[in-house]
Amino acid sequence: MKRRAVLVGIGRTAYSRESGRSTLAMAAEACRAALDDAGLSAAAVDGIANFQVMDSVMGASVAHAVGIDELAWNLDLVGGGNFATSVVANTAMAIEAGACEAALVFRSLNGRSGRRFGRADGAVRVSGENQFAAPHGYLTPPQWMAMWAREHQSKYGSSCEDLGRIAVTQREHAKANGNALARRALDLEGYLAGRWINEPLRVYDCAFECDGAVALLLTTHERARDLRQLPVRLLGHAESTGHGGSWVSWPTFTSMYSAHAAPRLWARTGLGPDDVDVACMYDCFTYTVMVTLEEFGFCERGGVGRFFAEGRATYGGDVVVNPHGGLLSEGYIHGLNHHYEAALQLRGQAGSRQVRDAMIALVTAGAGPYGGAIIYSREA
Amino acid sequence: MDLQTPPQPVPDADSAGFWAATAAGELRLCRCADCRRWHQPPLERCPACGGATGFELVSGCGRIKSFIVVRHPAVPGYLEDLPYVVAIVDLDEQEGLRLPGRLLDADPARVDVGRAVRAEIVDLPGGDFRVVAFRLAGPAP
Repeated sequence: MKRRAVLVGIGRTAYSRESGRSTLAMAAEACRAALDDAGLSAAAVDGIANFQVMDSVMGASVAHAVGIDELAWNLDLVGGGNFATSVVANTAMAIEAGACEAALVFRSLNGRSGRRFGRADGAVRVSGENQFAAPHGYLTPPQWMAMWAREHQSKYGSSCEDLGRIAVTQREHAKANGNALARRALDLEGYLAGRWINEPLRVYDCAFECDGAVALLLTTHERARDLRQLPVRLLGHAESTGHGGSWVSWPTFTSMYSAHAAPRLWARTGLGPDDVDVACMYDCFTYTVMVTLEEFGFCERGGVGRFFAEGRATYGGDVVVNPHGGLLSEGYIHGLNHHYEAALQLRGQAGSRQVRDAMIALVTAGAGPYGGAIIYSREA
Repeated sequence: MDLQTPPQPVPDADSAGFWAATAAGELRLCRCADCRRWHQPPLERCPACGGATGFELVSGCGRIKSFIVVRHPAVPGYLEDLPYVVAIVDLDEQEGLRLPGRLLDADPARVDVGRAVRAEIVDLPGGDFRVVAFRLAGPAP
């Protein structure tokens, strides 16, 4: 029988605005928690993977810190949230190819107290494609995203209120999540009263930057039989990288990687948006949720505002989008916390925010020209 | 950290012709000598046909593809100008040929997608570079 990789353990640290800890210490804690969750000893782990933007610790160091001194497989990806699904998919492929038997995947960052993505304080000299834009003060993701969102508004008639309904719904979800950092009530009026960052995006359109770590543990389906948790299956994965991966000079602001990854994902899994119970949509900004929901086929172009306003993106609707509150309200662990939530939901362990009979979860990652998605399912 | 100085570009072998042109007060962009396609950012060879490229004058006329109003000081420079407008401009020479740039002396309320603009070479504070900015051209449609 073909080797099949499954997700058997999840772990995390507390999320905070200032951890006072090293990314190594947090990664190690999250990895130990994932091992404990699964009931697997560190000695059985022979693979590790992570992604980072040179703001974190390498995988081998974390393996050493949890007592794994020899690795059969090790992957350090340098990049942003676009890798938050492909790092897991690559780990699954490594296990299925026999490169390793059990592997940890982690993301650890001091994203609030350390390096912040929305700022370019240290950008004194800028090379590469940003050399043309940076001298104009145009250099950060919230600026790029605002530039794209403006064209969407112009082309499809979407509005700030539409973006606001995404933020408000996710905040409502976060209220039931004791781990979420942003749980204060937010209504549309409050959203609109939020300060501008770069028009047309306000502060509530942006991910809630924080410190913390998440780890996932994958192994073979065969080995999972002896472990503690119900294994979560990876039904399929798809990704896309377009236009040289450039956020600055790519041509289609109103479309994202999902234009290509979504049809690939549905073709590979034989599923469609109607089959999805939980959608952990990558939400570094509300605008990412808007375009990827359109392109994964949950609603028509320009229809996301209505989709949220009619309650179709929450409990009792078509699909529950980011039941944990997402990066906007739970916290910005760069998208690996989406996998943690998907596993909790599919294992039926999400407590008061449990999506009833959750069988299929979609996790997406990335924005603009590159990103990917995974479909997870509850073990039937 | 110096909050008053905007980021300075670091030219490389592929972009040197662009910066040499702005220093001389001209807007020149990368163009394939064989198939005549324009490319921005510049490349040593044409990605479409592999031909050698050079830098040629463009009109600097175009339309606003999209724009933002920067209100939060997350990048050094222009702090006294907040809020300021940054636009992505579709240049007239070729579909998809684009440049980012500040929109000079623009009232954010009067800026809109599709408005005509023209390029202007201006000094970049904090160094010797000159950069391509834009100005609204003509009345609102």
